[in-house]
Amino acid sequence: MSAAHSPTSLTKVVVHLRATGDAPILKQSKFKIAGTDKFAKVIDFLRRQLHRETLFVYVNSAFSPNPDELIIDLHTNFGFDGKLVVNYACSMAWG
Amino acid sequence: MSGASTVSASEAHKLVWEGAIPLLIHLHDSEVTTLPPPPPALVLAPRLGYLPLLISQLKPYFSSTLPPGVDTLWFEYKGLPLKWYIPTGVLFDLLCAEPERPWNLTVHFRGYPSNLLLPCEGEDSVKWSFINSLKEAAYVINGNCKNVMNMSQPDQVELWRSVLNGNLESYQRVSSKLKLVTLEDEYTENINAVPTASQENSGEGDAAAQVKSGRIPVRLYVWTLTEDFDDLESAPQIDNWDKVSYINRPVEIHKEDGKYFSLHDAIKTLLPEYFPASSFGNLGDASTNLSVADEGENTCDPDSSSLPLENAEIKLVRIQGIEPCLEIPFSWVVNNLMNPEYFLHICICLKVSEANAVQ
Repeated sequence: MSAAHSPTSLTKVVVHLRATGDAPILKQSKFKIAGTDKFAKVIDFLRRQLHRETLFVYVNSAFSPNPDELIIDLHTNFGFDGKLVVNYACSMAWG
Repeated sequence: MSGASTVSASEAHKLVWEGAIPLLIHLHDSEVTTLPPPPPALVLAPRLGYLPLLISQLKPYFSSTLPPGVDTLWFEYKGLPLKWYIPTGVLFDLLCAEPERPWNLTVHFRGYPSNLLLPCEGEDSVKWSFINSLKEAAYVINGNCKNVMNMSQPDQVELWRSVLNGNLESYQRVSSKLKLVTLEDEYTENINAVPTASQENSGEGDAAAQVKSGRIPVRLYVWTLTEDFDDLESAPQIDNWDKVSYINRPVEIHKEDGKYFSLHDAIKTLLPEYFPASSFGNLGDASTNLSVADEGENTCDPDSSSLPLENAEIKLVRIQGIEPCLEIPFSWVVNNLMNPEYFLHICICLKVSEANAVQ
């Protein structure tokens, strides 16, 4: 958890996007994204891919992180097996 | 007074919950349609609260002068739009190096800067952000957030209301049911919900969650200076959110025999990239050990991160408006200065060399 990771590093993080409920499944669901990007980038990506403004996006089917949180922090704190699992739904799944 | 169900507020808790920032709120010129312009509103904003929640207090002051349209409330300080999900007290601690009382803010009811601020639809958005932060904290502490997800609807309502109204007793009544125990604390007189041995063994499946995990959810707001200033008033103003690193990392407390874990220790653990010379044994990774060994020589690949070789200098640490002595036991800080969503918000200003400055 506490290994040094510099904010300026070029670490890329693997994000696995998983559909929940009746949300459409993406053709490609695994992506690499820069650790220094914010979670907002994942949310925006999903919105564009699914052509939906209203999306509920969660980590580990548990909570919705603040869009300003860094991917590297989410990955370090909540990642499993080297990836960050992001679930998305069209309606509120875990309220 | 014993057991997890009886919780007493320490003096510090009461002070933290009663903490408030006096705000002098000016309506932006572009939204003043009447003469004379309305005077600014003087409002006492709870430290633990959030700016958008002030709308009911502010609207009466300005409603008669606003241009037609739908209200989309946002605030700015010296031209910097304020992130609404950051608790009011933290915004003040971060942006006012030299505390300004009252704090002069500008309010807008129109023209929401969607390119700069996350959308906010009033209280519902703030509540959503709060509950998700609470779940995130629970996940850090317990490895899951079942306890928050399993809260009854009335309990959830009461929890949020207690935060809205700054009601500490009501908050403690509901939050103690979550059994979110972070760590034991030898330094606070009235210990919050520390389970006794018998309670740990009294078994429901959730008993395991009562065991102290020692992982503390922390939100860090780090900004850097490259020069010394005589006083903070003359330090450069944060005029852009790119100048602040928003870092979310938990602290794992490491107790060494005979030594307590201090706030200073916690900061060095949280920011290894700024404190590479700190000796926390297996916490450093290979690259930091390497750069420390090669004295004065930057052996890092110029394209990769440039880890500093010297420790940064801590210029300012603020938590709940307090600048604690760095040797204070971190457990005291955790048990007394946490926000209601179980995050510890820490504002830190560091002096670093040019190469390591934030943006």
